[in-house]
Amino acid sequence: MATSALRLENVDAFYGDSHVLQNVSFELGEARMLGLLGRNGAGKSTCMNVGMGLLAARRGEVSVFGEAVTKLSPELIAARGVALVPQGRRIFRSLTVRENLLVAGRKPGAGSKHAPWTMDTVFAMFPRLKERTSQMAAHLSGGEQQMLAIGRALMGNPRVLLMDEPSEGLAPQIVAEVMATIRKLKESGLSIVLVEQNPNLVFDVADDIVILNTGGVAVVSTPAALRQDDALLRQHLGVF
Amino acid sequence: MNFWIVLTVNSITFGGLLFLLASGFSLIFGLMRIPNLTHGSLFMLGAYVGGSIVIGLFGFKLNFWLAAVLASLTVAALGALIERFLLRQLPGDQLAQVLVTLGISFMAADFCLMVWGGDPMSVATPEGLGGFARAGGAVFPLYRLAIIAIAVVVAVALWLLLDRTRLGAMIRAGVDDPDMARVVGIRVSQLFTIVFALGAGLAAFAGIIGGPILSVYPGLDQDMLPLALLVVIIGGAGSLLGSFVGSILVGFIYNFGQALLPELAYFVLFLPMLLVLLLRPQGLFGRHVP
Repeated sequence: MATSALRLENVDAFYGDSHVLQNVSFELGEARMLGLLGRNGAGKSTCMNVGMGLLAARRGEVSVFGEAVTKLSPELIAARGVALVPQGRRIFRSLTVRENLLVAGRKPGAGSKHAPWTMDTVFAMFPRLKERTSQMAAHLSGGEQQMLAIGRALMGNPRVLLMDEPSEGLAPQIVAEVMATIRKLKESGLSIVLVEQNPNLVFDVADDIVILNTGGVAVVSTPAALRQDDALLRQHLGVF
Repeated sequence: MNFWIVLTVNSITFGGLLFLLASGFSLIFGLMRIPNLTHGSLFMLGAYVGGSIVIGLFGFKLNFWLAAVLASLTVAALGALIERFLLRQLPGDQLAQVLVTLGISFMAADFCLMVWGGDPMSVATPEGLGGFARAGGAVFPLYRLAIIAIAVVVAVALWLLLDRTRLGAMIRAGVDDPDMARVVGIRVSQLFTIVFALGAGLAAFAGIIGGPILSVYPGLDQDMLPLALLVVIIGGAGSLLGSFVGSILVGFIYNFGQALLPELAYFVLFLPMLLVLLLRPQGLFGRHVP
């Protein structure tokens, strides 16, 4: 069996008394992209938060390349090669572009197969950020902030990249740029979970699809199969 | 005219002293989201420990500046211990953390009373700074001018640390968004210890530096803590510039209020705090934290 880059197994998670994830299991294969879909409130971002250690799973197990990380803090999970591009970008607003990248810098783990990400390679991928190195991150446009959030995650030289609605609130042209970047990252061999509201964006790039509905896994499939099944998509996503 | 000039210099001096005290308080508040109620005690402890070394109470004597450094390092170590072994045991429970700092402040006050007694301790002005400078008919104590210079040097050093180093950027990232700081791999808990120790050391340094003009006495902690709180509320938690401007403002309001409206000194002092809280709760230079 191929190695799982990230695996959630029978995970239950709560916000206070609210039971947000119920027995959620899915896995991301190495060098694959998993599209995580679902309506608002289905539990997509909660899965990302559990994967990153921001929310502790009350039951079940989370593992990264076979190593259990369920009880670990975000900084220790980051040290094991997981990075998050969070919903709403959450760049460090009072830091400059350069400082946002600097604080996230981490050498790649032993045995990394990829050329390491450095400030130079991030700037090569996002030339617009290079023009704004000394600018406060708060003063960047939405698209630039998203590029910075992605660049910041890459500076950690992750093996697993969790991307939570990277197209949210962006103009269509910028969304196309962001998706082109995501495609390049996938081609570089990074294992990626892509959370999106818009299934069409995900179908174009993902290898596997998981659809969440009211806190549980409703569908595990592939883009090709789901494109043929409008009824299923309508049932769980309420679109098309 | 001289009266106003001297009052202005005294205000800036007191503002400088407050900056030494409040900059650490502000960083701790900004990063850990708690008002550290031991901060006044750390100021007082620094003054007592430093003063005792200067007069040889511990069996050895050092000059004023070495005593100031040693007292600051001692109290910084104490701060690190408080953070690591008490506050860290209560992660995420900010109310409990604040109550712990309050409890420690009472214990520290009792400890100081037991060790140093109830009489005020006088700390002599350091050698060479006991004289006066004259300018245009006005006379300024050299030591007060030295305090202003020290505050400026510390402000520049802190600015360089926070603005020009990776550690500083990490601290500011932690102030901005502690959860995201952890997500990018920053060990925020280590930053807590570093910042708490730095804040404690600065408070102690302020205590001994302020010794020659304030003297050291039981209750000094409770006199200084509200002023640090005022500075942070006016300037904004976690902002170095806010601490600096807030300290100078509070220095002026405190001194001019005492001199011109002594009956209303506290009213004048705390009115700006109420206005800032009502009109700009994040402070003049703080960022709104949702």
